Amino acid sequence: MKQRYQNRIELLQGTLDLLILQTLRWGAQHGYGIALAIRANSGDILQVDTGSLYPALHRLERQKLIAAEWKVSENNQRVRVYRLSAAGKKKLAAERSRWAQLSQAIAGILGPAGQESQA
Amino acid sequence: MKFPWGDGEQRKKELSEEISRHLQMAARDREARGESREQAGAAAQRELGNASMIHDVTHDQWAWTWLEDLLQDLRYGARTLLKNPGFTIIAVLTLALGIGANTAIFSLVNGVLLRPLPYAQPDKLVGTTQYYPKGPLVVMRQQSHTMQLVGVSDNKEFNLTGTGDPVRLIGNSVSADFFSMLGAQPGLGRTFHDGEDQPDKDRVVILSRALWQQRFQADPNIVGRWITLEGEDREIVGVMPADFRLPSPKTELWVPLRLDPRDSGNYWGDSYMQLIGRLRPGATLEQARAELKTMRPMVLAAYAWRMPVNSFVNSSVVSLEEAIVGDARGKLLILLGAVSLLLLIACANVANLLLARATTREREIAVRVALGASRWRILRQLITESVLLALLGGALGIGVAVGGLSILKATLPPDTPRLADVALDGHVLAFTALLAILTGVIFGLVPALGASKVDMTTTLKSGGQRSASGGNHRASKLLVVGEVAISMILVIAAGLLVKSLWILSGTSPGFRAERVVTARITPNELFCAVAGRCLAFYDELLNRTRALPGVNNVAAVNGLPLGGGAEIFPGVIEAHPVPDGAKVPMFWEKIVTPDYLRIMNIPLLRGRAFTEADSGADAQAVVIVSKTTAEHFWPGQDAVGEHFRPKWEQQWRTVVGVVGDVREFTITQNSAEWIDGVIYAPYGPHAIRGSGADAPPAEMTLVMEMAGDQAQIAGELKNTVASLNHDVPVSQISPLKSWVGEAMAEPRSTSALFAVFAALALSLGAVGIYGVISYSVAQRTREIGIRMALGARRQEVLLLVVGQGAKLALAGVAIGIAGGLMLTRLMSKLLFGVQATDPLTYGAVAVLLMLVALAACFLPARRAMRVDPMVALRYE
Repeated sequence: MKQRYQNRIELLQGTLDLLILQTLRWGAQHGYGIALAIRANSGDILQVDTGSLYPALHRLERQKLIAAEWKVSENNQRVRVYRLSAAGKKKLAAERSRWAQLSQAIAGILGPAGQESQA
Repeated sequence: MKFPWGDGEQRKKELSEEISRHLQMAARDREARGESREQAGAAAQRELGNASMIHDVTHDQWAWTWLEDLLQDLRYGARTLLKNPGFTIIAVLTLALGIGANTAIFSLVNGVLLRPLPYAQPDKLVGTTQYYPKGPLVVMRQQSHTMQLVGVSDNKEFNLTGTGDPVRLIGNSVSADFFSMLGAQPGLGRTFHDGEDQPDKDRVVILSRALWQQRFQADPNIVGRWITLEGEDREIVGVMPADFRLPSPKTELWVPLRLDPRDSGNYWGDSYMQLIGRLRPGATLEQARAELKTMRPMVLAAYAWRMPVNSFVNSSVVSLEEAIVGDARGKLLILLGAVSLLLLIACANVANLLLARATTREREIAVRVALGASRWRILRQLITESVLLALLGGALGIGVAVGGLSILKATLPPDTPRLADVALDGHVLAFTALLAILTGVIFGLVPALGASKVDMTTTLKSGGQRSASGGNHRASKLLVVGEVAISMILVIAAGLLVKSLWILSGTSPGFRAERVVTARITPNELFCAVAGRCLAFYDELLNRTRALPGVNNVAAVNGLPLGGGAEIFPGVIEAHPVPDGAKVPMFWEKIVTPDYLRIMNIPLLRGRAFTEADSGADAQAVVIVSKTTAEHFWPGQDAVGEHFRPKWEQQWRTVVGVVGDVREFTITQNSAEWIDGVIYAPYGPHAIRGSGADAPPAEMTLVMEMAGDQAQIAGELKNTVASLNHDVPVSQISPLKSWVGEAMAEPRSTSALFAVFAALALSLGAVGIYGVISYSVAQRTREIGIRMALGARRQEVLLLVVGQGAKLALAGVAIGIAGGLMLTRLMSKLLFGVQATDPLTYGAVAVLLMLVALAACFLPARRAMRVDPMVALRYE
């Protein structure tokens, strides 16, 4: 069963990493908070699967793109909070421009929406 | 950084906390939006999914989990193997054979070629490739800046008298600093002091541990005792430990070289010996080689007479290991090559078993893929399983190797260099472990790649009964073809060697061995130095022996054929004067009494044999030459009446006869490459001595023609010799046939080894074909059923199945022939009387392999023939 989750991560990997890094740009946040932020910022379109989120967070932590520490929340509970590292910031910039190129390229191939029906 | 598995538990705990906190926050948010506490909790739980799964997957991000996976794979693999005991036993046994054979041969290679010599700084030890007399050794010892050189004579024999029965011992003369150069410590007493190789100071001897124990009852006070060797008294100064085996494992004692320039014939001429040495600090092997070249002119200039200009020109310096091991290297490497081919066959067989099993496991694998296992994960699981299998095979293989090695040691000729050093040591075990792992990966990879590619949907839908595993089957056919090809190569190699042996044993060595018993009679050289004493001794001995019961006739010779020894000397042919400075022809001389040629049945081709009169002191000096020698020096002419003399004599000797060639040197060679001719001289005052000495040789071998095949005259012969002189040892009393047998030991052991390899290869190959054809029949049961339902006859089915196997075998045989043509060339040195491309051997082996293949197909074919169409069709 374990592998099923891994497979889904693999599908989402690059994208989810980018979204996490982008979300952490606005400040340190715990896992639940990141999931909420991604959902809210995408207008409820992107539902982040918890089974993908935590592996991604720990992978990024291991790659030293984000750092984690335990903090006490407003409810007086210990929560694990992630923040962007210097390497993570660089990575985010690189990934953003790559994403821009990619989406531009795909948009170019798909062309303006009107052309399809004319052909 | 903390060690990854050190903080694993802590991380797991924190991870659980993190996830449960996530759950709490999600539930609280839902509650805040107005859901009931129970509803919120359940919904958050649902949204999260399987918490423990998330936990595991997240934890996996922290590496090192491969170790946990490995343990899991191993457990799983072990379970699978236990579930299929039949498969496991066959695979493990096959691998044990392959790995065990390799381990045994590798321990030979390790002991003989790889293990450093057991002396201080063995990498600095060197040896010359050519032999030098004492004079050049002394010159080079003074001149060399790169090496500390010492001389080591070949094995010599010494009479030990005065301590019980006279015995013949094997010993070597060595430079005084031989032991200190090697850094060898004595077990008892001391080694030689500097200067003990000078005349009058050399009355010392060092014993081997074995001799000390056997002959001197391990007397702890032996040092200081005097013994008589070759009529000379020597003081025992030390005993060497058992592991000191230089220059040969047979060595029983060491005496110093006697460096006496006044004895110039010996000093400059006939004391040829191996030089070994130690590189001085900072010197390299290349420098030593270059220096040896520059010292050559100085060596030649030191001679009192003019040496041929190309003397010692081919000598070089090599590592001592290389100098000791010599020709054995090539043969060992060929054995290693052959045995690794055997392992490849074993691998192919197990790979085939795995391929067949992979089909039955398709469903299991498809289920795992469906559950989300990645291809890599499946691959890893399958490879782990095959490595586990190979490790089991390797463990059992060590047992096979222990047995194999003891057989090997018994089979190989005892003079194989460094054989005593061969053992299953740590290096060998490491090799075995590595080999097993490698083997597991090799034979596991192809089946695993195939199996991990499984198409989940079709397999699961079809219920896993029968899916199109065409790819697997193609792979297994290829494996069988390869297997047959490799078996073919091994069987060809064995065939060539066996044929060589057969030719060898069928070829006459040039003499008759039946009903001849030989014995070595070895008085001291000192005894014979007194003119006439030795002649009278042998004269009387021959007369008395001839009168012994069962002895028809007796003669004496200075050494038996097949490397039993001879005098070697430079000679001049009247018809072929040698220009000054050119190489003088070297001759191999048999010194014989008149009846020798008759007893040995060596045919007289021209002229006459020796008579008693030829041995007389005032008789004209005559010689007999061998057929090849006559053709070499007097081509197209009659050699009888031609003239010949040793280089140092003025008087010509007349050739009176020509006799048939005899394998004097080895079982395959009439003489060595550097010998130009073989001549016979009568025992007596006219015997030619390589040393230029006047007296005839002291050591002679009696050849006795017996009435029957019995050799039971040892006691009587010893009494006869003792009655003449009780200080003369009699040794090696044995039938001539066993001497010939010993000469064949080397080729026989090689062919025996290869025959075993070939038999193993052949049976593994047969099992491989059988497996693939049976499997294919099982797969095609339905098809065969349909064919039979449609009217195919049983014979047609039989042909169909056998034909399939035959096609595979034929392809393998064809590739094997091509491979054989390429590879057997490497072993041409081991062959005799047969070309490495011998068409007869190739043809016979091809037929043999086809027959074995057809036999292996026959069982499954019969099963196919008996397929009941009704049952086969209803089967699904």
